[in-house]
Order: sequence, then structure tokens, then C-alpha cells
Amino acid sequence: MKNTPIFGFSVIHVILLGLLLLGLSSCEDPIDIDLQTGPSQLAIDGWLTDQPGPQTIKLTKTTGYFDAAQPPAALGATVIVADEDSVIHEFIDVKGNGTYVWTPKPGEVFGKIGKRYLLGIRFEGQEYYAISQMNSVPTIDSLVFREEKPNPLEDRKGFAGEFYATDLPNQTDYYWIRAYRNGKRLDETSDIVVSYNGSFNGSADTDGLLFIQPIRTSINPDSLYNRNDSVKVEVLSITPDAFYFFQQLSTQINNGGLFASPPANVPTNVVNRNASGPKAVGFFGVSAVSSKTVKVEEVNIRPSED
Amino acid sequence: MKKILQIGLLLLLVGPAVRAQGTSDPAPATRRTSAQATVSGYIKDAANGEGLIGVSVFVKETGSGITTNSYGFYSLTLPLGTYNLVYTYVGFTKQNRTIDLTSQNVRLDIELKEEGRDLQEVIVSTKREDDNVKDIAMSVNTVEMKTIQKIPALLGEVDVIRSIQLLPGVSTVGEGATGFNVRGGNVDQNLVLLDEAPVYNSSHLFGFFSVFNPDAVKDVKLVKGGIPAVYGGRISSILDVRMKEGNSKKTTVSGGIGLIFSRLTLEQPLFKNKEGQARGSFIIAGRRSYADILAKPFLTGDLKGSRFFFYDLTAKANYRINDKNTIYLSGYLGRDVFGADFGFNWGNTTTSLRWNHVFSDKLFLNTTAFYSNYDYLLDSDLKRKDPKDYFNWKSSIVNYSIKPDFTLFLKNNTLTFGGQAIVYDFQPGLANAASGGEVRTFGLENKYALESALYIGNEQLVSKRLQLQYGLRYSLYNYLGPGEAYEFQTDVPPNQRRFPVSTTTYDRNETIKTYGNWEPRFSAKYELNEVSSLKMSYNRLAQYIHLVSNTSASTPLDVWTPSTNNIKPQIADQIAGGYFRNLGKTGTEYEVSVELYYKWLQNQVDYIDGADLLLNKYLEGDLLNGKGRAYGAEFFLKKNKGDLTGWVSYTLAKTERFVDGINNNRWFPTRFDKRHTLNAVALYDLNKRWSFSATFAFATGTPATFPTNGYLFQGYLVPHNAENSRNNYRIPPYHRLDLAATLQNRKKKPTQKWESNWVFSVYNAYGRKNPFSVFFRQAEDKRTVTLNGEQVQIPVAEAVRYSVFATLIPSATYNFKF
Repeated sequence: MKNTPIFGFSVIHVILLGLLLLGLSSCEDPIDIDLQTGPSQLAIDGWLTDQPGPQTIKLTKTTGYFDAAQPPAALGATVIVADEDSVIHEFIDVKGNGTYVWTPKPGEVFGKIGKRYLLGIRFEGQEYYAISQMNSVPTIDSLVFREEKPNPLEDRKGFAGEFYATDLPNQTDYYWIRAYRNGKRLDETSDIVVSYNGSFNGSADTDGLLFIQPIRTSINPDSLYNRNDSVKVEVLSITPDAFYFFQQLSTQINNGGLFASPPANVPTNVVNRNASGPKAVGFFGVSAVSSKTVKVEEVNIRPSED
Repeated sequence: MKKILQIGLLLLLVGPAVRAQGTSDPAPATRRTSAQATVSGYIKDAANGEGLIGVSVFVKETGSGITTNSYGFYSLTLPLGTYNLVYTYVGFTKQNRTIDLTSQNVRLDIELKEEGRDLQEVIVSTKREDDNVKDIAMSVNTVEMKTIQKIPALLGEVDVIRSIQLLPGVSTVGEGATGFNVRGGNVDQNLVLLDEAPVYNSSHLFGFFSVFNPDAVKDVKLVKGGIPAVYGGRISSILDVRMKEGNSKKTTVSGGIGLIFSRLTLEQPLFKNKEGQARGSFIIAGRRSYADILAKPFLTGDLKGSRFFFYDLTAKANYRINDKNTIYLSGYLGRDVFGADFGFNWGNTTTSLRWNHVFSDKLFLNTTAFYSNYDYLLDSDLKRKDPKDYFNWKSSIVNYSIKPDFTLFLKNNTLTFGGQAIVYDFQPGLANAASGGEVRTFGLENKYALESALYIGNEQLVSKRLQLQYGLRYSLYNYLGPGEAYEFQTDVPPNQRRFPVSTTTYDRNETIKTYGNWEPRFSAKYELNEVSSLKMSYNRLAQYIHLVSNTSASTPLDVWTPSTNNIKPQIADQIAGGYFRNLGKTGTEYEVSVELYYKWLQNQVDYIDGADLLLNKYLEGDLLNGKGRAYGAEFFLKKNKGDLTGWVSYTLAKTERFVDGINNNRWFPTRFDKRHTLNAVALYDLNKRWSFSATFAFATGTPATFPTNGYLFQGYLVPHNAENSRNNYRIPPYHRLDLAATLQNRKKKPTQKWESNWVFSVYNAYGRKNPFSVFFRQAEDKRTVTLNGEQVQIPVAEAVRYSVFATLIPSATYNFKF
């Protein structure tokens, strides 16, 4: 899903390269546009994992698009997450900035594989809820690097990472793949990578196969990694609606050019109990995580393919 | 299935039946209607033997007349007597003939000579000087290749589709977009015919160039309304492109060298007899872009072996067996290829075989059999550097068709009838994925359909002033097995994915779903006086195949899908009316027309938000069914004669759609809705050597959906439209000026065969950054702010104008002919 929604291949880039070489000149420039701001809504950003440490759910309010990078916090909400066995985790806004946190007791982690979780929020007289499930996740067998040019026009070489994992057989799996360079998550809009059975969506029957090629190398920053970088790759199990959510998110925040998709609202799984009440946006998900962290050094470097 | 067979049989039977009638010795027929006789024949260009389409044959004595059909054939039935006929065709010297029709039918083939070159007159559009007023056809634009050749489009290349975009009622979603929109219709609603075979993707290099090689094109006709019964299968327009037949007098070679590609065309007579008359001829024309060849020295390392080019080959041959039979074989093959390691390519192939048969002086038959194929292929690793890991994917639409069309020329009536059967084979997408050496093939099963139609139409001269054209077409569509048909949930709120609830498997040739539509057609023309007329028309059209595409410009990867048990055929009803007038000293110096139209569209294909259109078995569950309406007024002023010619067209239009679940169940403007469109074309001949052209285009900005709000999710800035509205804003307007100059090179000797010219052009002369779209995104660089005493990086929101061409584009092309 990197860069384009079409099978992960950078179709648009091939096209642009073609046009560039054909002497045509396309151009993108920022312009000023007055946008009318719509009514404010509750925005949920909650992703809980089975990793050690506190879990957080961020609540904000939507605001005008150009101001949305610093949204007003949604304060004074009651936030709980309950599992199927009615074990309730309370999330508290400790700092009073809309970041609601649940801190585990020593040795405790959040979540069990196969269990469903309910998020409940009471905010400004409305009750919202969302449901997610923690699915199983395959282990990452290895993470290796090959020396390559970041793109054909550059002389400099970097290291392209490739991770190996095998899709869990006999079940339909959805994954979210994240990568970190020296502890910092790759957070370009093009870094949203989700996978269906280790492949793309559609009718792809790749159940039980090694994750397919473009997915395996979907963990690289544009400039590739440098020697001695510490690289961490995470595979998170997600639900089908989360997969769909991420696809839409990626489409909508990477949407320009000749072949843009029609702008549409990214879906949400958060529902207001009062059907005629204000709607919420955002997403609540729970994931099991498998990860691998290695250093870009000789032992992990494979000869390049060329 | 029975029904199809019946229709098929009927089609087969109609031919011989009529033949039996037609061949039953013309003499007794003449005797039976002894008061009448017929004059008929072919009209050709004296210079190269090309059949001339739309030549006017006028009878001085009766004031009546007719025009030649697409093959240059005409037939006129008159009371016995002696007549003076006038053959006129714009740009050609008029010919007068006296014929003796006192005792028998006359066969009269005519060759018309092009008017002296010294006139250097540029002819804009109509064939007969007063067609604007006199012809019953409305909402029809013909553009002479001579005119198209004077308006070079992008990079100095003459282009058919970009030229018709300058006509009233025709627009596009933006520069570089594939296809064109006619009177509020989608790009897939135009039937683009190349020698009667449909072309499924009319573009090279996305929408920058069209697949038609201008050197091989004889005639281009766009029908936007009042569509005669002979045409069917698409609901917005017919673009009928006819290829040249090839010079039957002498061998000629022509070509051109441009910045982007080169062209070469060979025309040659075939089967010459002792007198030097040819029974046939052929033309073969090729084009290839060569940016990749020029760039080769610079492509090293990973880019070595990069390929990005397109080519096309157009060929046609004709053979006149005898006076009554002529056969034509035409073919087109074109492909775009892009890629280095990763690559994709796409292209059309069409072949059509036509047989013209003159049964009698009055009955003409053309039978066309065609094959058309559009396919594309995508591969993750063209070089198979790693045979264990790759991904490829292909898709195609293939069809075969047979189509007999009869024309029966009667006194004051021209009857047309015939039928068509098209067999479709859709491959919506078949993929191979190899991972770690294990290969899996997956994708969608082929889909099959049969579309058949029978039609009858008549063009009737009711009185000197009133002419009618009416007809009826019945189209029948069968969605056929083998395959699976799905039934989807019905209780899902609109604009949400519907999941299948049951699957039925069908055998080969088993009918899954049948649709039938009666399509009435009607046009009328009333001449107010010699120089002005009123015209009106109504037509209903049905369309059974749909292009599945929800990107702003359609892409080569879009897939055609048949109507199914879940996708209904699209239907359009259109009424149009207009006033047509000729002006000027000679009576036809200027043409003016005003047309109004209103269109109702049913079963328009739309998409749920986030629809998954590729390799999706349950695609139908992601499609929505809407309705549309389009209305507008088209104003057209054209100057036909003089050193300065050209036209101005202005269109005021509105195109809207209604889809349950979209835009809060309110009508919304379509992506290609443009309130105002103004096009002006001026052609000026300075002297024998220099001629100039200028084109100006203005259009209201297209609608776009802009966010009203935003929020952060996992650090990403997400645009959000709190009103859930569609197309709530408009991007800035589009305008552009193109200039071109043509220099005819001097001949060293008057007998010199080699003719050549230079074409210099500037596209987008004042370098406007015309927006193709305006979209919103987070900027690449983040901003660092202090939040609660912590340094955090936050995204920056920006609105971006995307322009396909941000500068002026100059170019030069050299054309030659010998």
C-alpha cells in the first residue's frame, strides 16, 4: 500500500518518471483556500496493544482543517475499555490534556489473543462505544538489508530492509506493519502499510504463504537506512474493519494527481448510542504485536540482487 | 438463449431475403414502377481515389437531392426524364452532369477534383456548404482532417480527440485525462469507432494523445444527439472515425518528425490494369514515440532497459471485385509501454472486414465483421531478477461482432435497416503472485455477454421544407455463463459495502440475466427559408457495458464490466432543439447555430466511499446506482470562407447526479460539470507559404470535494467533511491559448514531388498553471511546537494546486510527402 492504493506498486511514480522524461512538466504548488469550518466532533485515536507499558487513548475535537494539527483536547470524558469477561480498564486523563491513560500493574499487560474489547466513552452528555478484537500474529523470522540506491537518480547508496514472516495458515488475517528507525516511527503518510494474508486485498489467495515481496520491503524510508541504524519492524494483528479503515486513511491522505480517488470521509468504528446524536470520528483498535529489532551491520547485510 | 438464436437467425435471414428481392433482375423492377428510374454510383476524390463521404448530389429540375453515404455511394430515384445533376463537396470543384433517365437506370461514378491549391482555403467542417441549414442532422459536428491538421495540439502533434474537445458540448475533466465528456456524459458513454470497430481506450500516454494517427484518418464525425437508429450501445455520443482507403492512383509516402514521435505513411494502388486503373489500394501508417531512444545514453544502472514509449500501426486495404462488390480490411494495433523493473503496458487491437454490396441501384449493403481487444498487463519485475518473488496481473475486454446495414434508396425516402450481434469476453483481472518460490494464481473468472440489436430507420422528405428521420432500435442483452452470479444484501444502508448472501453457478452459454430495450429515435428539420431552419430531435439509447473507474481521470487500468443481475443497463433520453442559420455575402460565409438539450440518465454507476474496484470478486456490492440529468445551451458561430476562418463555441451547461446515500441524498454536480465553456479557433492564411492558427479555451473550474474539518490520528492529519457533502467547491477556472504557424517549404522545381512543411507551435502560450485539481494534504516537513512543555512535531496542513502543464510548451514538427 505504499504510495498508491494500486497493489503497492508506485504506479504514479513510474508514470511521473515517464512524463518527466518525455519533457512534460507537471507541478504541485501550495495555494491559499478559504475553507468553511463545519461543526466540531469528538475524535478518537486509540490503539491498544499487548506490549508492556501504559496504554493511551487520545480524545480531541475536530477543528478547521488548517488548524487540525493542534486540535483542542476533549476534556472531562469518562473512558473505559472492557473485555468479554467484564474486566474493566479505566483510562484517566492524568495530565488534563485529553490523553487518557491506563497503567498496568507490575507484570501485567493489556489484552489476550482472541478476546473482544469494548471502548466506552461518556463525553458532553453523549455515550460512544467501539468494539475491537485482539487477533493472533505471526512472528517475524528475520530482518535483513541489501545495499541499494534509494532511487535510480541518486549516486548514494543506502540499505533496504526486508523482513520475513509467514502468514498464519487456515485463517484470514489482517496486519498493520510499522517500522522504526533508531526508535522513531516512520510516520510519513506513505508509511501506512496494511496487509491481507501477507499480501494485498482482493481475491488474493496467499493464505499461509511467506509475506509477498512488496510487503516484505514496505518498511523502508524513502532515503533507505544507514549503516549502524537500529531498525525495528512490528507486525500488528488488526480486524477487517481496521484494515479497511487504514486503506481509506492511506488513500485519503495520499490523494492527489491525475488519478486521485474521490475525497471521502475515512470511516470510523466509534458509534454514538444515540443514533441522532453527534457522530464521532477516528478509530479504536487492539492488536497483538510481534516485532524484531536489528542493527544494520555486516551480519544482517545480504549481497544485493543486481 | 432461444431468443438470441432467433434474433441471430433473423439477422442471417434478412440478408438473403433482401438479396433475393434485390437481385431479381432490375429491369422488371424498373418496368413495374415505370414512371421512375434511378441514378446511382460512387463518388471519389480524383487525386487519390478515396471515396468521399457526404457529397451533395442535387437535381436542378426538382430541387431535391441526397448525400453520399460513408462509402461514397449515392442513389437517387426520379421520375423518367432528363436531369441536370450538380455534385458539390466543400473544397472540391463542382461538377455538372446531364443524365438521361428516360428509359433506364443509370450508373454514374464521379471523380471530384480538389479546388486549386492557390486558394489555400481552409475548410471548416461541413461537407456541403449549406449543410448547417439543409441537413436534417443536428447535434452533429464533423471536422475535416484539413482543419484538424491546422490546429496542432500538444507538442505540435495534430490530434483528433483534442480537436473535437474544441466543439460545443464536448469537455474533459482536465488536461491529460483520457477520453472526453459529451453533454454531461461519462467518458465510457461515447462509442468511439475506428472503421466501425469500437476502441475501448482512445488514448496514448493517458490522455495526451489519441490513438488515431491523423495521417490515416479520412473523416471524423461526432454525433451528440438525434442519434440515428443505426448506432447503439453507448448513451452519450458516437465518434465515428473513418480511415483513409489509400491512394488508388499513385504511390505516396508521407510522414512527420516531431519532438515526441515520428510518423510514416505509405499509400499504394493495388491490382492496376493496363490502363493504369487500380482495383484496390492500401494504406499503412505507423507512429512511435522515441523519448526512450533519445534518453538511452542517460539511462544507466537501474534505469538501464527502462522502457516508456507508445506505438501504433494503422492499416487498411480495399479491393473492388466488380461494380457491385467492394471489400475493405482495416486494422489497428497500438500499445503504450512503461517501466523499468516494474512495468505495465496497455493497448487496443481492432480488425474490421467490410463488404459493400450494391444489390441494385436502390439497395446498398454494408456488412462489417469486427474484432476488438483492449488489454493491459502489469508486472512487478519485468526482468525476473528474482524468479521467486513477483506479482503480475492482466485484464482484457475482447469482442467479436457482425453487423449488416442495408440502405434502401426510395423516392423521398431513404430506408436503413439491419442488425448487430456482439459477443463480449471480459477478463476483469487475473493475477499471479509468487512469494518465496510458491506461485499462486488468483483473480476473477471471465465474464461473457451477448448484445444484439435490430433496427429500422427512415429519412423522409415530407415536403421541400420538412424532413423527418425516425427509427426504432431494439437491443437485447444476455449476460451469459459460465460463471457465478451473486445476490447481495438488501438491508444495508446506502453508500455501504453490501456483502453477498447467495451464489448461483451457471453453465456455459446459460443466460444469467437478460435485458431488452426499445430505443426510439426521431429528428425533424423544418426550413424557415433558404438560409435558416429549425431542428429538433429525441432519442433513447441503452448501454450494457460500463467502465469501472472512480478516479478523477480514468486510468488505463480501469476495467470494463458487463451489465449483470446486479448492474442494470444505463439508459439515456435526450431531447434537443435548435435554430440554424447561414449568413454572409455568398450565403454560406458564416454559420450560426443555437442548440438546447436536456438529458435524463438512468442507472448511472457510482461507487461507495472507499470502493475496492480491482480484482474484487464482489465488485457489484461496492457499486451504487444513480440517476443523472444534464441540460444546456450550445452556441456556435463559424466562419467558413476567406483568409481568416475558424469558429467560436460557447456552452452553458449543468450536469448533476443523484445517488442514494451520497451528498445527503441531494443532487450533486458531477466531476465533469462545467457551467461555462468557451472555445475559439482562428485559422489565418497569410500567403501561400505561411498560415497561422490560434486556439483559446476557457472553462469553469470542475467541482471538487473539500474538507470542512480535520483531526489527528496516530500523528496523521485526516481531512474530514462534517457535512458529508460531495463536490462542495470548485477549483479555479481553466484557460489556455495555443499558437501555431505552418510554413510550406518552396519547391525547387514545379515538378518536384517532394512537398514539405514545418509546423511551429506553442501550447499554453502564456504559461498558465491551470489546475487539474486542488487537494489537501499534510506537508512533507513537520513543524516543531511546544506542547505542555514537551517538544513535539506536528504535521502542517496545506492546499495544493496540481497542474499537469505548468509552463508553455514549444515545439516544432517537420512533415513531408512524396
